Amino acid sequence: MRRSRAGHTAVWQARLIMLVMINIAQLWILAATVDAALARHYAVLLPLVIASGICFLITLSIIKWWRPTSRRKTSTGYLRSPGK
Amino acid sequence: MRKSLDEAINRVLSDERNVRAATEPFQREFPYERDEEAQVTRREFCNFLGLTSAALFLGAGGFAAKAAYDARQSETFGGREITGAESLTPNSSLNFNYPAERDSAILVRTPDGAYHAYGQKCTHLSCPVYYSRDHQRLECPCHEGAFDAATGNVLYGPPPRPLDTIEVEVRNGHVWAIGRKPATNEHAD
Repeated sequence: MRRSRAGHTAVWQARLIMLVMINIAQLWILAATVDAALARHYAVLLPLVIASGICFLITLSIIKWWRPTSRRKTSTGYLRSPGK
Repeated sequence: MRKSLDEAINRVLSDERNVRAATEPFQREFPYERDEEAQVTRREFCNFLGLTSAALFLGAGGFAAKAAYDARQSETFGGREITGAESLTPNSSLNFNYPAERDSAILVRTPDGAYHAYGQKCTHLSCPVYYSRDHQRLECPCHEGAFDAATGNVLYGPPPRPLDTIEVEVRNGHVWAIGRKPATNEHAD
């Protein structure tokens, strides 16, 4: 059980770290978008928005589907590790 | 171990719990759990990061859409007299609005007596530029960018392109603004 708990925590930490990193990347993309718009570099605007969208989709996938196995949702609710 | 941890927690929270006991009648009407309120769970933090991600995506998309929309707008400019320009001494400047009242612009009379006008927004992050008499150039105070007073080209600093140029014409001793040319990066040095 302890091992399962440790794995559970590691997955949660990994999720958080990835989400924070993606947020930082998106912040950088937003700054680059503002810079490009003011500089009238219109050719790079669309790729930047697409990159931000991909980051958002990855964030969604992490939040929605990338869960610790003990919290996997089934037809009868969330599975929990034994003993809880 | 567990017991000592519980005792330590109780010591920290005891003051709070005493307050709770004293305010119990009010707690029934206003059930406010301060300890729990102060905590943010990992799940909440993850959801917050998700919302932030959505906001950043929408921000980038919105900014790009606004820039693309503005680029497609074809503006027509009418002539407008710049009041007070005729009395402008060489090596000085005058602020005016053109083409609309919200578009601030700057008219510069260089030491050789020629008139040059530019949109006042710095092309870096839109701070207003001013004319520096000592250096005879347009300077942005925000991030120390500078533009040539005669051409509007970037001299140094972070601005990525020259200032927007406003075409001026002298008619019967009066200075008129007759058009605005957005500068592109192609003319940058």
